[in-house]
Amino acid sequence: MTLAIALSAVLGAVCVVLVALPFLREPEPVSDELEEMTPHRQRRLALAEERDRALSALKELEADHRAGRINDEDYRASIGSLRREAASALRALDSDAGKV
Amino acid sequence: MFLLYTSIAGGGTPSVKPSELAAQEGPVSLVGQVVGRPTGDANAEGLRFRLHDVKDPSSPTVLVVYKGSVPDLFASGRDLVVEGELRNGTFVATPGTMVTKCPSKYTAIKPSDQ
Amino acid sequence: MADLGRAALLLTLGLCLYACIVGTVAAVTRKRRLAMSARNALIASFGSTLVATTILVAGFVRNDYSLVYVAETSSRSLGGIYKVSALWGGQEGSLLLWLLILTGYAALAVWLNRNRTRDLVVWVTPVLGGIAVFFSFLLVAVASPFVTQVAPLDGSGLNPSLQNPYMMSHPPFLYLGYVGLAVPFAFAMGALLSGRTDERWIVATRRWTLIAWTALGIGQLLGSHWAYLEVGWGGFYAWDPVENAALMPFLAATAFLHSVMIQEKRGMLKVWNMVLVSLAFCLSIFGTFLTRSGVVNSIHSFAQSSIGAWFLAFIVIAVVFSTVTIVWRLPLLRSTTKLESLISREAVFLYNNLLLVALCLTILWGVAWPILSEAVRGDSVVVGRPYFDFFLRIFGLPLLLLMGVGPLIAWRRASLRGLGATFFWPISIAIGTGVVLLILGAGSSIPGLIAYTFSAFVLAAIGLEFVRGTRARRALSSESWPVAFGSLVGRNRRRYGGYIVHVAIVLFAIGVAGASAYDSVVEGRLAKGEALTVSGYTVRYVGLSERQTDHATEVRAKLAVSKDGKNLGGLEAGKNSYKIAGLEPQVSSEVGVRTDYLTGEDLFVIPETIYDDGSMYFRIFVKPLVNLLWLSGLVFLLGSIIALWPDARVQRRLAVRYEEASSPVRGR
Repeated sequence: MTLAIALSAVLGAVCVVLVALPFLREPEPVSDELEEMTPHRQRRLALAEERDRALSALKELEADHRAGRINDEDYRASIGSLRREAASALRALDSDAGKV
Repeated sequence: MFLLYTSIAGGGTPSVKPSELAAQEGPVSLVGQVVGRPTGDANAEGLRFRLHDVKDPSSPTVLVVYKGSVPDLFASGRDLVVEGELRNGTFVATPGTMVTKCPSKYTAIKPSDQ
Repeated sequence: MADLGRAALLLTLGLCLYACIVGTVAAVTRKRRLAMSARNALIASFGSTLVATTILVAGFVRNDYSLVYVAETSSRSLGGIYKVSALWGGQEGSLLLWLLILTGYAALAVWLNRNRTRDLVVWVTPVLGGIAVFFSFLLVAVASPFVTQVAPLDGSGLNPSLQNPYMMSHPPFLYLGYVGLAVPFAFAMGALLSGRTDERWIVATRRWTLIAWTALGIGQLLGSHWAYLEVGWGGFYAWDPVENAALMPFLAATAFLHSVMIQEKRGMLKVWNMVLVSLAFCLSIFGTFLTRSGVVNSIHSFAQSSIGAWFLAFIVIAVVFSTVTIVWRLPLLRSTTKLESLISREAVFLYNNLLLVALCLTILWGVAWPILSEAVRGDSVVVGRPYFDFFLRIFGLPLLLLMGVGPLIAWRRASLRGLGATFFWPISIAIGTGVVLLILGAGSSIPGLIAYTFSAFVLAAIGLEFVRGTRARRALSSESWPVAFGSLVGRNRRRYGGYIVHVAIVLFAIGVAGASAYDSVVEGRLAKGEALTVSGYTVRYVGLSERQTDHATEVRAKLAVSKDGKNLGGLEAGKNSYKIAGLEPQVSSEVGVRTDYLTGEDLFVIPETIYDDGSMYFRIFVKPLVNLLWLSGLVFLLGSIIALWPDARVQRRLAVRYEEASSPVRGR
C-alpha cells in the first residue's frame, strides 16, 4: 500500500517537473512570443508551394510523355502552358524575396 | 445519388419480440431467449424450441421450428435472433438465419451461418 | 497496486486536461513557454498511461483476481501470451489500450514536430489533448479497469474462440488504425485554427495517415481470417454492424488518401479534404461506439451500457467542433485552380472519392437506420445482407475499374485519341479474359464475371505502367531491366507502392468474387464409411476420436479427402467442449480446412451435429480462390511499406520549401 503511494508520488512529481520544465529552464526568457505565421510568410509559403507544384507538373508531363502515357500531340499542347506557369511562379517567388 | 439509397433503405426487416409476434405479418426478425429443452434435429425435420422475451421471463412463449446451421452458443437460456414468419401459431424460421449473442464479453462471436 | 493504477489514470486525465485547456490558452495568447509546457503535459500523459497499462498487464501475469477485470477475462489455465492479450479482451482494458495508443501517437506527433511548424503544433496539442481527455475520463469515472474485489480462486477465462493468434492481433492493429486517424484530424484542425492556408498539415501527416490506414486494413483482414477459421460458417464477412464499424473509417480514409494527392498536386479540394479527414476521425470514434455500446442489434451485445451515451456525446461534440471550425475558416480554403477536364487523373480521383464516400455513407445509413428507426418510430428493424451486397456491387465494381483507369491517365487533361492507344492492351486483355472465363463457366454469376474482367483490366493496366515506366527509365540511363525497375520504384515510391497496393486490392476482389460467387456447397448426414462429393472432391467419414486436454474434451471426425481418385490426405473436423468453472460446458465447432495452394481454393468442412450413433451431419464448401484474400494482405503490406519508405530526395525538397518560406532570400 505504502509502495503504491510512494510510486504515485514519484510519478506525479516527474510529471509536474516535465510540465514546469519550460519555465524552470528559462525563468527570464528573451522573448516568450510564439513564432508567428505572418501574412508575409504565409504568402511566401503559398508561392513556394505554387512553384513546387508547377515544377513537379512539368516533371510529370515529361515523365508521362517519355513513358508513353501522353502522345506527342497532347504533350505539345500542354508543355507551353506548364512552362509558363512554372516561370511565373519562379518569378513571383523571386520578386517577393525583394520585399520584406 | 443520395436519394437513391435513402429510398431503398426505407425497407428493413422489422425486429420483434415473441410477445409482439401475433400482431405482425410477414417476414420478421425474432429476438428472444431460449426456454426449456430444445428437441429435434436442425439438419433433419427441424429443431424445435420455445422463445420468450429477453427481459421478461413471464411473457408468453412461441414455438420456433428451425432448420439449418445452429451456432455453437445455442443453448437454453441464451439470447438469439432468427428470421422467419409466423405460420399457424408456429414461427417457421428461414434456414440458416440464427444468430446467437455472446453472453458476457463485449467482443464478437459472429453468426455461425450466413 | 490497483490504487497506483487508478492514480496513474487520474494523472493522465489531469495532464490531458492541462494540455487541452492550457494548450488552448497558449495558442490564443501566443506564449511559447506555456505552449511547450502543454506539449510536455501531453507527452507525460503517455508515460502515466504506460504505467497504468503495465500495472494491469502485471495483474494478468500474476493472476491477480482481486482486479475484477482480470478475473473476468483471464483464468489460471490460460496460456501465457493470451494472458497478455486478455488485456484487450474486455471493455475497460481495450479502452486502456486505446488510450495508450492515443497518448503514444500524440506524444510522438508533437515531439517529432517540435522544431517545425510550431504555430501548427501549438493547436494540435489541445486538440489531441481534448480527445485524450474523453478517453481518460471514461477510464477514470465510467469504466475503470482497476475495480477491486475479494479475489476468487480463479478467473472466468477468456472465451475460447478468442484464444487464437488472429483474434489476439486483430484489436491492436485495428486500434493502431482507428486511433491513428486522430493525428491527421488534429493537424487539419490545427491548420484551420491557426489560420494557415498552406499544405503543411498534409505533408506533416502524410505518413501518419498511410500507417493508420494500413493498420486498419490489416486489422480488418485479420478479423476476417479469424471469422473464417474460428466462427466457421464458410464466410468471412457478414456485414455485421461491428465489421462495418471498421470498414467505414477505412473507406473514408482511402478517399482522403487519394484526394489529398489532388490537393498537393493541384491545390484543389481543400474543403473536401477537411471534411473527409473529420469524417474519417468521427467514423473511427463512431466505430468503437458501435462495438461497445450494444446500441445496434448485433451479435456483440444485447446489454445497453451507459458508456454508449458518453460516446454519443463525444461524437456530437467532435462533429460540431469540426463543422464549426471548417465553416469559420471557409474563406481561407478557396481553391487556386479548377478542374480542367473530366478526363484526367484528377477527375478519376474525384470519381473514386465520390464512389468511396457513397459506399461509406450507404453502409453508415444501413447501420444507423435501425437505431434511428427505433428511436423515432419505436419499432426496430434489421437491415440485412442483400442491402449491403447490392451497394457493394454498385459502387465497388466501378471503383475496381477506376483503379485501372487512373494510372493510365495523365494529370490535368487527356485527349480521347491519346487514350485509345494507351487503353488498347488492357482492354483487349480484359475482354479476352472475360471470354475465356465465360467459356469456362464463370457466367453462372454475372457480378463475379464482371469483377474478374475488371480485375484483369486493372492488372493489365498496372502491368503496363510498370513496363512503360521501366522502359522509359532504361531509355534515360541504359540500365538493365531489373535495375531500371528497382530504381523506377525507388524514385517514385509513393506511386509504385500505391500501384502494388492496388494490385493487392484486385487480388482481394478476385478472392471475394471466387469465394462468394463461385463457391459450391453440399450437406448431409454421414455414417462411418459414407462420403459426400462436391466439385470433384470426395470426402469420406472414416472415424471418430475423442481426446482430453486440460481445457477441453475434443471430439474429432477423421475424414479422408480425395479428388478424381487421387488421395489428398486426411482432414479433421469436430467439436470442442470447454469446461468452465461453475457454468455449462461451452461448445465450439472446429472446422476442417484443406487448402490447395496451387489453385488457392479451400475445401471447408463444417461439423454441424454429432449424433449419438456416431454419425455426423456435415456441411462442406468448396471455396475457389479464397486464399487470395490472405495473400492480398501481404501484398497490401508490401505496397504500403514501399509507399511509406522515406525518400531522402523528397525530404530535401520539402525542407527547402519550408526553409525558404521562413527566411526569405535577401535580394539577388
